[in-house]
Amino acid sequence: MSRQLDNDNPTIFAPTTSKTSKRIQKGKASLWSQDALSDEDELGYSSGSGSGEEREDIDSEEVYDLLRSITDPEHPVSLEALRVVNQDDIHVAGNRVLVYLTPTIPHCSMSTLIGLSLRVRLLRALPPRYRVDIRIKSGTHQSEHAVNKQLNDKERVQAALENKHLLNVVEGCLSTADKRGSA
Amino acid sequence: MDVPRIVRTQISTSELNPPQELVEAVNNATVGLLEIVKALGEYLTSTEDEVRLKGLTFLSNTMKAVNPTKINRQATQTLTNFYLSKLDDFDSLPPALGGLTVLSKLSTFDDDAAVEVYKGVVENVNMKAYIQATRHLVYVLFDSLLATHRNALKALGTSFLNSYTKMVDGEKDPRNLMLLFSIDRVILLEFDVKDHIEDFFDITFCYFPITFRPPPNDPYGITADDLKLALRKCMASSPYFARMALPLFLEKFATLTGPSMKDLQLSIAACLPVYGADAVRERGVELWEGIKTEILYSSDTSIEAAALSALESLIRTLYPTESDAPSGLAQDIIKECLEILNEPDKNQAVAATKILAAIFRASPSAGRFALSQALPQLFRQFNSPSVPSHRSPILSTISSLLVAVQSVYASPTSQRRQHEEKSLDPYHTGILDVLREGLRTEGLKSPAIKGCTACVQIPGFWDREDMENVVRGLDDVLVNDEDPEIRPEVIKSLTTISVHHSTIIESLTLPLLFHNLPDSAPPASDHLHREKYRSILSSLTELCVAPALFQTLVIRITTKLDLLSTSSFSTSNEVDETMDEAESEFDLRECNIAYSWDLLITLQRVVDKKIKEKHQDLIRYFDQIVPRLFTLVVGASTSRDDKALFRDRRLIGIVARLVESLVWELNAEKQSQWFSAIYQAFEKGDWTGVVHDKSQIGLGASLLRNGTSSAEQDLIALYAGTIQGLKGDAVLPFSSPETFLSSKIHWTINVARDNWQVKWSLDLICAFVNKRENALKESLETILDSVWSLEIQDTSKDLEIRLRGLSVYLYMIKALSLLRSPLAYTALERVLDILSLSNLDPEFVPFAAAGFGILAQGKGNGHLTAKLLFAQKLWNFVLPKLIEGDKEASGTGRLVYLVAFASLLPLVPASLCLADLNTILPLILRSLSLPDPHQRVNAITTLTSVLETASDSKEVDKAIHIHAEVMVDALLKSAVRQEGVPTSGKVRSIALSCLSLFPDITRFETLHKHKSIVIKELGKTLDDPLRTVRKEAVECRAKWYRYGNAT
Repeated sequence: MSRQLDNDNPTIFAPTTSKTSKRIQKGKASLWSQDALSDEDELGYSSGSGSGEEREDIDSEEVYDLLRSITDPEHPVSLEALRVVNQDDIHVAGNRVLVYLTPTIPHCSMSTLIGLSLRVRLLRALPPRYRVDIRIKSGTHQSEHAVNKQLNDKERVQAALENKHLLNVVEGCLSTADKRGSA
Repeated sequence: MDVPRIVRTQISTSELNPPQELVEAVNNATVGLLEIVKALGEYLTSTEDEVRLKGLTFLSNTMKAVNPTKINRQATQTLTNFYLSKLDDFDSLPPALGGLTVLSKLSTFDDDAAVEVYKGVVENVNMKAYIQATRHLVYVLFDSLLATHRNALKALGTSFLNSYTKMVDGEKDPRNLMLLFSIDRVILLEFDVKDHIEDFFDITFCYFPITFRPPPNDPYGITADDLKLALRKCMASSPYFARMALPLFLEKFATLTGPSMKDLQLSIAACLPVYGADAVRERGVELWEGIKTEILYSSDTSIEAAALSALESLIRTLYPTESDAPSGLAQDIIKECLEILNEPDKNQAVAATKILAAIFRASPSAGRFALSQALPQLFRQFNSPSVPSHRSPILSTISSLLVAVQSVYASPTSQRRQHEEKSLDPYHTGILDVLREGLRTEGLKSPAIKGCTACVQIPGFWDREDMENVVRGLDDVLVNDEDPEIRPEVIKSLTTISVHHSTIIESLTLPLLFHNLPDSAPPASDHLHREKYRSILSSLTELCVAPALFQTLVIRITTKLDLLSTSSFSTSNEVDETMDEAESEFDLRECNIAYSWDLLITLQRVVDKKIKEKHQDLIRYFDQIVPRLFTLVVGASTSRDDKALFRDRRLIGIVARLVESLVWELNAEKQSQWFSAIYQAFEKGDWTGVVHDKSQIGLGASLLRNGTSSAEQDLIALYAGTIQGLKGDAVLPFSSPETFLSSKIHWTINVARDNWQVKWSLDLICAFVNKRENALKESLETILDSVWSLEIQDTSKDLEIRLRGLSVYLYMIKALSLLRSPLAYTALERVLDILSLSNLDPEFVPFAAAGFGILAQGKGNGHLTAKLLFAQKLWNFVLPKLIEGDKEASGTGRLVYLVAFASLLPLVPASLCLADLNTILPLILRSLSLPDPHQRVNAITTLTSVLETASDSKEVDKAIHIHAEVMVDALLKSAVRQEGVPTSGKVRSIALSCLSLFPDITRFETLHKHKSIVIKELGKTLDDPLRTVRKEAVECRAKWYRYGNAT
């Protein structure tokens, strides 16, 4: 890359977010360990009709899981390792998802691109009933307001995605998204 | 024997290996070797090069073939002289060398001859003129001479060494070099090479560093590493090299990289001890500089490791014993490291730690000095760090040093011991303090645990009290720390400690863990306490596998279960008021059942591990475990309390599994005894031999008679568990196995109350038939016949009875098919026949079709006996019949064949389907639209395996492209939840993962029309209620988005 990098030596954090979930299990799963339930399945206790399935709602952990392994546009490192996305900065309520992203440095020109990647990922991975808001975490970027506006303007996002080159860059960032935190 | 004639024939036909009869004749002394030489005379002296070569080759070959003792002194001498005269003959050289090599190994070949031969070769052979194979023969001859007449050559002194170095100079072929390096080494070690060391330096070090890379498909199989090792041994053969070698090494530090740098470091490691302290000391500082660079700055861990071993070698050479004062270089190195450690969070600090550890490993005196310098500084830094975050790397450094100490003092190969060197003694309290502090502090636990584990394993360092202190600290972490990453480390540490000091764990850790296990389960809403007891139980699962600790586990868990079983959980008002039960969906009884289940699964897992590790002590606990569990279950089922805990079927189920595992471990005699007691109990109502405490058992009559309560009938699971664990050679307590089998079949069909009981008694029947096929042989056919005609065929009977009859029938077939018994196939014909009657018997036949799933279970996880290839045999028997039936049937009649096919699919690996893909693939595709999700799961699983092999086979690839659109449509239907269509999480998630294969294996033009449809449909699956399904959906959709984008 001939262009000068915005942040050529970002701090990389070890993935301290534990791999195990902090979710509190609901219903049967709260009382019985996984093995017991799978035993029951084998013996045909649970109804195979699918109507009896308990709904597991989409929560911030799941949304974080969708985003954590997206690669940074400048470095071959995940957004999780750069702490650009944090689980605590993701909020899910009803049909709304709100993601705050934290640029590594206040003048990062990549923020919009990162935001766009997040948006495309969520566009593809969340059910259409969700309305997604992506914002810069307040106080972490010089032109916070402008970036926010750009990221949440449907038409501008659409226009950006019609740019072949830009789309390719976004696809590149998303190519690692499937790893979901596993190395 | 006409020797001349034989020789003539051989030579004229160019068959240059001696015929067998000639070799035998020489061996039994009927023909003398000289006779052959005479017969060869005209050829050997021929003026034609070609003829002479043939003669010589024949002679040499003959010598190689005959028994060496048959070559007498005179012959040896004559032949030696003869060959010597041929050395200057260019073409004759190879056979001459071969002959001389044979001769040189003879006892009749004396030292004088050896010298003569050596000189002859040196004087007459111009190495540069010959090809590799010939040069190789020269070296082989040298090797042989050196092996047998070393002293004679040694006596030649200078002239030998001079001529040798000239002879081998300039050799380049790796095959020859391998041989030369080993010869060089012998000479360097044995001969007086001091004055000629420069020549030897030239012929060895000129190859360093070796950059050889074997050509692809190298037939000789010599690798660069072989050469490097051989050369390294050579370089490390003589201390006289030091003067020239060390400057060479130093020079190379600057230029080499990658594998060559690694070679250099390893060579230094090998050479320094040989070159000796004096020579090394002169260049020590420079060597250290070169080594240091690679340790501190190398990004390649293998080079770093090589450099560390070079450092160890350097220190070991300079300070070999306890009495060598660690002055000079060691002091400087240690000082340098400690300076680096002043900034412990830097990357180099890790390297400095490794350097200190290497110094400790290398030398007792320098090692002790290193510790005496490093530890006090580290303690100081730890106790008053400049930045709080420094404490973790500092403790890591301390722990790494302790690990190094442990690796030396606890190693059986090392002579160094803590009680002799006492190098850690002055820091005893310091170490203990920082480690205990670490165990208490967030973020320091991991390094502290590592340090503790190391210290415990240093013999004679910590006394019992210290260890108890540390184990208490570890226990504390175990019980109170919620970090899921730390817990496994603690467990590992405690397990290590338990190997050396099991009593400490037994007296400290186990009581604490068991104390923290509640006596009764926390209410359903109390997730925190439930997580806690689960975490304790999983710790126990790891720890208590050790024989010394298993007993405690058995006693404690059975006691807990006893306690749980006696507490009352009837929903009395009192409980209702105190507990906030309204909030929770489960009552206390359910919680306690879950808790008991967790306790039992802990026991089961430990037992499984012990079985896997073949622990001998396990069987001793049979009488402590099984009768107690029987008491609990039987007591509950016969008590008047219909809410008794152990009436729960999930608990009975797991107890039965445990019984099966343990019974299987008993020997035949014990098994016979146990089974006889069980038989008495279930058939005659005498429970004495089976339970631990008879007073808790309420009744006396046979449990399997008609009219027992449902709870008592549930005990069939325990009966089944025992029989499943029974081996074929255990003696049965009854004379007629067929009567026993018939009675169980009768019970299953007519008495059992529900599917749960039926399932267990079917397992019982299956295991019994499988293990007792021999005893039952005659009667099996009759029994199968009567089940078929009386229970199944009789349409006037209840459907339920007929279905159970069919299950019995199929389970017996499964038991027999595992043994590849012919009866299985004849019996199965009937079931196959019945599939065509789906219009006449519309309720029964679909069940029969789905029943093929029973056969598909195969051996399972249990202890059934299975013969090789049973599945293939069954598959090949059934499949053609299903295909045929499917062809003949029409309309809905075909459906049952499809169901049977899909149910049977899991029986065989997909590779078997591949062989017959064109017939099977259409069936799989049709199965994708079956209504039952289980059968669809089978079909999709097989389809997935087929798709995964697509890239290997053109035929598969073609078939997939033809059917791709159909497959994608069908999979989408299975993936999306629709109202009114039976589905399951399993089928949806497996359909999605199968669907995600297509973008990788099908060409875009085949499916490009589908891309937008698939993406749209997958959008619905993103909202699936199950998280696992959603995950698959996201991945699948991402793949389809990328489909066709690749440019």
